[in-house]
Amino acid sequence: MLSQQIQASKHPPELVVDVMMAVQEHYGYLSDEALEEAAAMVGMAPTKLDELATFYTFLYREPVGRYVIHLCDSVICWMDGYEPLRDHLCKKLGIQMGETTPDGLFTLLPVCCIGYCDRSPAMLINKKAYGPLTSEKIDEILETLRSEAAETTPS
Amino acid sequence: MPKLIIDNREITVPEGTKVIEAAERLGIMIPRFCYHPALGSVGACRVCAVKCLEGPRKGIQMSCMIDAQDGMKVSTTDAEAVDFRKHVIEWLMLHHPHDCPVCDEGGHCLLQDLTVSGGQGVRRYQGPKRTHTDQHLGPLVAHEMNRCIQCYRCVRYYQEFTGYEDLGVMQIGSRVYYGRFRPGTLESPFSGNLIDICPTGVYTDKPSRYRGRRWDFERRPAVCLHCSLGCHVTVSARYREVVRQEARFSESVNGHFICDRGRYGFPYVNLPERPRSARVDGTETGWEAALKIAGERLESAAWKTGPQGIAVVGSARCGLETQGMLKRLADAKGWRGPVFDIDPAAANVRTAVSRLDSDLRVSLREIETADCIVVVSADPLNESPMLAPALRQARRNGARVAVIDPRPASLPFQFDHFPVAPDDLAAAMAILIRKCADKEPLSELGKTAVRSLRGVSDGADIPDADGLAALYDDLHDSRRPVIVCGTHTAPPEIPGMAADLALLLRIAGPRAGLFYVMPGPNSFGAALLSDPALSFGDLVSSIEEGETKALVVAESDLFGSGIDWDRLQNALNKLELLVTLDYIDSQTTRAARILIPTLTAYETPSLSINNEGRVQQSPAAFRGGDPIARTGGGEHPPRAFRRDIPGREMGAAWTALPTLGGRNPGSAPVNLTAWLGDAHPALTSLPESSDFPPDGVRLPLAENAGERFQTDRFSHGEKEEDALTLLVADSTFGTEELSSLSPILKELTPSPCIQIHPEDAAEFDLSTGDAVRIDTGAGTAVLPVQTTDRIARRVLVIPRHRDLDDRLPRERRTVLSKTAIRKATEDA
Ligand code: SF4
Ligand code: SF4
Ligand code: FES
Ligand code: FES
Repeated sequence: MLSQQIQASKHPPELVVDVMMAVQEHYGYLSDEALEEAAAMVGMAPTKLDELATFYTFLYREPVGRYVIHLCDSVICWMDGYEPLRDHLCKKLGIQMGETTPDGLFTLLPVCCIGYCDRSPAMLINKKAYGPLTSEKIDEILETLRSEAAETTPS
Repeated sequence: MPKLIIDNREITVPEGTKVIEAAERLGIMIPRFCYHPALGSVGACRVCAVKCLEGPRKGIQMSCMIDAQDGMKVSTTDAEAVDFRKHVIEWLMLHHPHDCPVCDEGGHCLLQDLTVSGGQGVRRYQGPKRTHTDQHLGPLVAHEMNRCIQCYRCVRYYQEFTGYEDLGVMQIGSRVYYGRFRPGTLESPFSGNLIDICPTGVYTDKPSRYRGRRWDFERRPAVCLHCSLGCHVTVSARYREVVRQEARFSESVNGHFICDRGRYGFPYVNLPERPRSARVDGTETGWEAALKIAGERLESAAWKTGPQGIAVVGSARCGLETQGMLKRLADAKGWRGPVFDIDPAAANVRTAVSRLDSDLRVSLREIETADCIVVVSADPLNESPMLAPALRQARRNGARVAVIDPRPASLPFQFDHFPVAPDDLAAAMAILIRKCADKEPLSELGKTAVRSLRGVSDGADIPDADGLAALYDDLHDSRRPVIVCGTHTAPPEIPGMAADLALLLRIAGPRAGLFYVMPGPNSFGAALLSDPALSFGDLVSSIEEGETKALVVAESDLFGSGIDWDRLQNALNKLELLVTLDYIDSQTTRAARILIPTLTAYETPSLSINNEGRVQQSPAAFRGGDPIARTGGGEHPPRAFRRDIPGREMGAAWTALPTLGGRNPGSAPVNLTAWLGDAHPALTSLPESSDFPPDGVRLPLAENAGERFQTDRFSHGEKEEDALTLLVADSTFGTEELSSLSPILKELTPSPCIQIHPEDAAEFDLSTGDAVRIDTGAGTAVLPVQTTDRIARRVLVIPRHRDLDDRLPRERRTVLSKTAIRKATEDA
């Protein structure tokens, strides 16, 4: 599918971000090897891909948890209480920003404005936006995700 | 042409000039980190702020980002601008270590200079600094990312200017990181320039680490002698050693940069095995005494055999003075020679020199402005590295670049490769020439020339003839076509045909140019001054036949000529006298009866002529002598007081040669430039050394119409169906004579291999990684196979390699029968 798309493209490098996304989807994150694989697909140097991969927030160069929480730290959310929410999340999950819970369930990362300013403070978890947030709402969301994970994980 | 006022001084500059450049023309150096004339403006650092007082813009502006415009009034000293710059420097220093005394850039650091001059020597910020992990980038460049100020010069240089992609910029915000995807040796053979352009100490010169500060060095301008381009460098010497080299700006030759071969080729000067004392029959005698004995023995040899029993040999690495003196000596004494063409490509160089008309030749920098370039029989990256970035700049400006060469050429940009076999190169050129003759009104050339041109076989049977014909159309439609022609491996017709093509294009309209690549730094001088009647092969035969009994060899390793080593050794043994003058240890110096050590071009002023006929001058960088590290045996140097410099009892080869002329010497010249004029008329009007212009002088080259348009000379003869052609090629590192002695470049030298087209390989049941046993005619070698479809069919390429020297043929092109190669099986 991906390779068809690449073949159909006149200029494969223009697909580079999509390809990295797809490869990440497959492996969970972009390891060095995964990045090299993506580079070979589009015919670019691995360094060129790494330049992009380390620039874009949603491309992960390190393993991430099952749920990647991107908490918005841009100006509106910040005015509306980003900092206490961040502290709450960190405490609740027992990790710092940029870390993953030991059970591999949650990774906590910042993100620039996700266009949810009218419902700020906001966050994004696995491409789904949540807001306006309060500590209670966050607890609820985390609980839901935990049980969802427990249900879908074959024991 | 906009006229503007900067700091109350008026200046008129060409349209499109940035304010920062306009100020520089007035001698006002506006601070800058990210702006670089070769890389242009990006506005990344904000330190070039000035205040526009009047005109189309007002207030604080980045002088590297705004074009000079009519009516502008700019102040660089306005309090607001000064304050702005001060703050910029302070926040650039926020994460930067305040530790210049232990930094390898300290003392020649732009950031240090501006920080101090901006009054930011003491830091106010006491918080934690962001830190990075450094990478190993290979033997040349050290990496210390904590010192980065995010000016982007390095990536812009590395990726945009030279076209390599293994160094980039990663991350975002304050974490921005310049480096490689994985630690490892930088792939670009131009990586050393990172050291020069980084305004701070992120990239520093690894080999010269801990060897001194800039003010400890004797620094002098010099000209690179590691290929024929003659790029400009700055030499740093200390404790009687060359320690480091940097690129030096040259308007016409190399611009701002040099290649890594040129930068790190120097250690031959410092090597412990370098001959430092004169020897006669194995006994040290002192320099003057050895010269005198040599003179006497040569005189008695001449007595016995007549002057024709003595021959003189030089090389393309001799300075022009030495070449000239060899000729003067041979002429004055009636000896044979001088022979400079120990390199088999010398005949090609002579053709090139005779065909390089003054109005056709272009400089390296002018290549950047060409819009269609045909490279024939040359491999730029491997033969004359800096040609590759020049071609790339042309490509970036929209030029089409085509390479017609059998070798698997690679260049850091998109180009068209016609992998034409050596036997077909003339036919390929004929297609271009013939199309020109058909298409253009060439009546002014005269009937004979036109007939000869129309008679050129159209070579339509070579692969991709249509592509070549289409290439002609591009040449014809371009405004500034340039033909680049190699001489190293070219068949003998090619240099002449390249000139014919350039000339025809010129007649047809466009402002065509011609650029030859030559094998040695002073090949041009060698071609002007050598005795065309005597080749090195003939000379060896005449020694074998006992006609030549004595040989004077100046700065030339005869064993690099490719003549079978046993044969050559036997011939040298037959000589009654071998006088060798050299500054490197070689088989020829070891074979010498009388060995006379000489000074390198770093230790004596020297002239050389580059590939476009440009005479360039290098002053002495230091006075020479045995490195203190050696005389001191690693300890403090001996405290004994002496007036002379240890290991310096020697002179330049050309000052030694007159004494070899014995009682009736070729007389030491008083006025250098005047006697060079005696050696060759083209050298008559060289300026005095104090008046030598920075970019040297281009020799006036005589037109040589007689040789033109004899395109019918080449025969598109029958090809042996089964034959293979072996090309002995160059590589960027490890093949040029002097730089291949550099321990610094050892790690970058590729290991020996043989390259072949996969379909040809299949015929011998070979694939990449297999070993092949090849009988080159000069010896047998077992080499790993590299298949590549970018190579011409029926062609084998072996890059020269020191380990193979004795087993590769003298000729750069050899026809081998199919039985010469076979797969080397493990048991064989
Ligand atoms: S490494 Fe040097 S050249 Fe590159 S961005 Fe940093 S300071 Fe500039
Ligand atoms: S291109 Fe040639 S002359 Fe220029 S620096 Fe490299 S080796 Fe020296
Ligand atoms: S600022 Fe947070 S979503 Fe826009
Ligand atoms: S030099 Fe102008 S912004 Fe850096």
